[in-house]
Amino acid sequence: AEPVTLKISHQFPGGTIDAGDFRDRLCRRFAAEIEKRSGGALKGTVYAGSSLMKTNAQFSALRKGALDMSLVPLNYAGGEVPETNIGLMPGMVTSYEQAAKWKNAEVGKALSEVLANKGVIIVSWIWQAGGVASRTTPIVDPSDAKGLKIRGGSKEMDMVLKEAGAAVLDMPSNEIYAAMQTGALDAAMTSSTSLISFRLEEVAKHLTTGRGKTYWFMLEPLMISKSVFDQLPKAQQDLIMTVGAEMEKFALEQAKADDQAVAAVYQKSGGKAYDLSDASVKKWQAIARDTAWKNYGEKSESCARILKLAEKLL
Amino acid sequence: MSHGVELESRQPSLTPQIGGVLGMLLSWQTKVNGYVLFVSMLALLVACLVLTLSVVMRYFLKLPTDWQDEVSVFLLIGAVFMCGAFVQSERGHIGISALEGFFSPAANRVRLLFCDITSLAFCTFFTYKTWSMLHEAIVEGQTTSSTWGPPLWIPYGLMFAGMTLLCLQMLLQILIALKTRGAAN
Amino acid sequence: MSVGIIGILYGLGTLLFMFSGMPIAFALGSIAVLFMFIFMPASSLDTVTLNVYEEMANITLLSVPLFILKGAAIGKSRAGADLYLAIHAWMHKIPGGLGIANVFASALFAAMSGSSPATCSAIGSAGIPEMRARGYSPRFAAGIIAAGGTLGILLPPSIVMILFSVAAEQSLGRLFLAGIGPGILMVVLFSGYAAFRYKKEYKEALDTYNQGGRKSAYLEAMELTLYDKFRLLPRVVPFVTLLVGVMVALYGGFATPSETAGLGGILALCLIALIYRMWRPSQLKPILSGTLKESTMLMFIIGMSLLYSYVMSYLHISQSAAEAIVALSLSKWALLSVILLMVVVLGFFLPPVSIILMTAPIILPPLKAAGFDLIWFGVVMTIVMEMGLIHPPVGLNIFVIKNIAPDIPLKDIIWGVIPFVGLMMFAVLLICLFPGIATWFPDMIYGMSGK
Ligand code: NA
Ligand code: NA
Repeated sequence: AEPVTLKISHQFPGGTIDAGDFRDRLCRRFAAEIEKRSGGALKGTVYAGSSLMKTNAQFSALRKGALDMSLVPLNYAGGEVPETNIGLMPGMVTSYEQAAKWKNAEVGKALSEVLANKGVIIVSWIWQAGGVASRTTPIVDPSDAKGLKIRGGSKEMDMVLKEAGAAVLDMPSNEIYAAMQTGALDAAMTSSTSLISFRLEEVAKHLTTGRGKTYWFMLEPLMISKSVFDQLPKAQQDLIMTVGAEMEKFALEQAKADDQAVAAVYQKSGGKAYDLSDASVKKWQAIARDTAWKNYGEKSESCARILKLAEKLL
Repeated sequence: MSHGVELESRQPSLTPQIGGVLGMLLSWQTKVNGYVLFVSMLALLVACLVLTLSVVMRYFLKLPTDWQDEVSVFLLIGAVFMCGAFVQSERGHIGISALEGFFSPAANRVRLLFCDITSLAFCTFFTYKTWSMLHEAIVEGQTTSSTWGPPLWIPYGLMFAGMTLLCLQMLLQILIALKTRGAAN
Repeated sequence: MSVGIIGILYGLGTLLFMFSGMPIAFALGSIAVLFMFIFMPASSLDTVTLNVYEEMANITLLSVPLFILKGAAIGKSRAGADLYLAIHAWMHKIPGGLGIANVFASALFAAMSGSSPATCSAIGSAGIPEMRARGYSPRFAAGIIAAGGTLGILLPPSIVMILFSVAAEQSLGRLFLAGIGPGILMVVLFSGYAAFRYKKEYKEALDTYNQGGRKSAYLEAMELTLYDKFRLLPRVVPFVTLLVGVMVALYGGFATPSETAGLGGILALCLIALIYRMWRPSQLKPILSGTLKESTMLMFIIGMSLLYSYVMSYLHISQSAAEAIVALSLSKWALLSVILLMVVVLGFFLPPVSIILMTAPIILPPLKAAGFDLIWFGVVMTIVMEMGLIHPPVGLNIFVIKNIAPDIPLKDIIWGVIPFVGLMMFAVLLICLFPGIATWFPDMIYGMSGK
């Protein structure tokens, strides 16, 4: 038969299989591995840096089968599938160990079920910690955020920041650098890897890291379109899921390495890196519970159920 | 030499004298385009005001805003798509007319008709797909994924309405061209 | 069918549709949908409109209409005419003074706007009529404005450089600074050419007149006393106020770049209301409707070209071309030449934003491996893509000018920009020979480290 080529799209900077953003490398490794093990019957082409379609169009395209695979923060689909907002719920996941439990726990199963109904399957569960880059003062405790102009970057994070007294700004991620340079923005939150690629250390001197413990964990899975998946022979389906699961180990190592690397970048450029204590994480979690968690749980029965299952892993 | 506003005084568009049903449709379309243009002008101003206001609110009133970008996007997307028909009515969607001189008037008429019909076919397809997108957004209650999370039927609806008007405008222009044998338009 | 053949067919089909005279936007959309229908799975047709919406629904891109409004408020009110009168009074002794003034005005506006077509429109809506009124040939006037407009993406802020810095993982701050030297170089080159060309046209006009032909406006002498000159000076106030206001808002950290676009529009409208008493709806209507007409035309083309590039990306056309080039394993400078040549060819059809998104991930690693400084390359690539903005078939700046001055035939505009394309090539050559033109400034500010 004709070899099947899966188009894999993501928004991160493109590189090679050995160098660059680990999320891009993960996609390339995945593609190489399925090609090798299927004897060339199954291939993957990676489209980096939104070179195929805009980030926000990916989830919808997956659902319709117009895109085969995508690695994207799950909460980007929040407008279409509200349940996915759990993917970046502040304080819901506080360590990589806890994150790793999700896949096989009840909450993982429930989330997979919701996604399957929308025509999407998670191939690889990828979790990543993040941090805060700040130009004026470090943001460690919620009280530090008071009065600062911050880009939280997600609906749920913004709710928490507002409660903490911050002025929340909404702006495209490509404007963060310029806005921080001029002072239109005081601080921004994102994953460690993106903090590195945005090069905010040139304009921000304080970094709160995700090393050890943090309230900022993001689920950015590698996903496949269900309609595309269902058309593949059983052996290839199994291969995709097996290789996907294997990639999780690589993702964990790389995400942890980037948490360290970003701290080093800030220190090298004359900035400072701060780690979060247990107590600080608890403070953020307490605010999140009353704002973002509550709001999420009230959205629908399905959301309430997922919230409850997620809280079991705390 | 005249300066300022006079520079821009718009030449009255060369509307052919057409009676009957087509003439009536043409005058309706012209009216609709006029109203749409007016509303779009307001939208453009409001978009500017919203962005300005968010700066003012943040700096002077210390009130943060997280909705200004999306409100502006919706207003501007709406203005752009809704004005598509108006621009088409003035033949303002620019094309490459470099080869005009190489054809006879009769051949040019056929060429123009081909262009219009192909454009219409594309826009009809696009409008139909916009409708599917709008329909899905309404049925599923889709919103944007931002903090403010406004419903997506607003921009999709504006896109659909604008594209529909554009298709009607093109259809009308084709019918008029057929009737007047492409004399004007 | 091989990717190469599909790519050639796509290119030929595009040329056929465009030269049929169809509006550019619908020609791009039609050819894209046609190829989707033939070569792509049916499901991809379902996401056509979503792709267009998601590409366009972005305040960075949608700030283009706001930049156009800001320019139109100046250009279509007496503010523009007054500004040019004052500049002319002071610079008319310099050959091509008005042309040079337009190049400088473009550079100043470029520092307020991140987009080239918007810069072109802002300066052109007053600049082209002014230059023509003073005898400049339509071709010359159009060329200056089209070329001046390209500075919009070379001088900071720049939408294109933002995308490049993310794709190349390079510092945006460095990249922005690296654009300044080459930007000044281009201002100098364009100004030099304007003076040269002015002398030529002036002489022709003089010869025609001496042989009993018509008297060109070139020959209308303007004798002003120093008092007159100073009396005219306050007329630059509206433009300078706007410039300063926007700069303070942007670089002073009061507003995000997109907020600055809206703020600039409001500021411009307030200024003409205060100074020229232009506040009545009937007075504002031409400004607003002109802005909408132009923005709609432009945004339709941008939206559809993003759909067009989606198909190109999906079918792997540009990526395959880039991969083929990399596979040649050429020497350092041969590699650079071939890559730039490819950017030129893509520039025939695509706006800079699409070119970067599609090719950067493939061409950057080998360039880096060959030892090129990617900041330097980003600047060179930006200039090469600027050439694409002013050459046909898809050249956004050309369309903007066609819209501002509909009576100038497209042929004349194209002949007018060709010398400037030549100057840009020359600039690229200079920057290759003397990389310091681009890298000196960022190296001085940030130091040599971290490269
Ligand atoms: Na600029
Ligand atoms: Na071009």
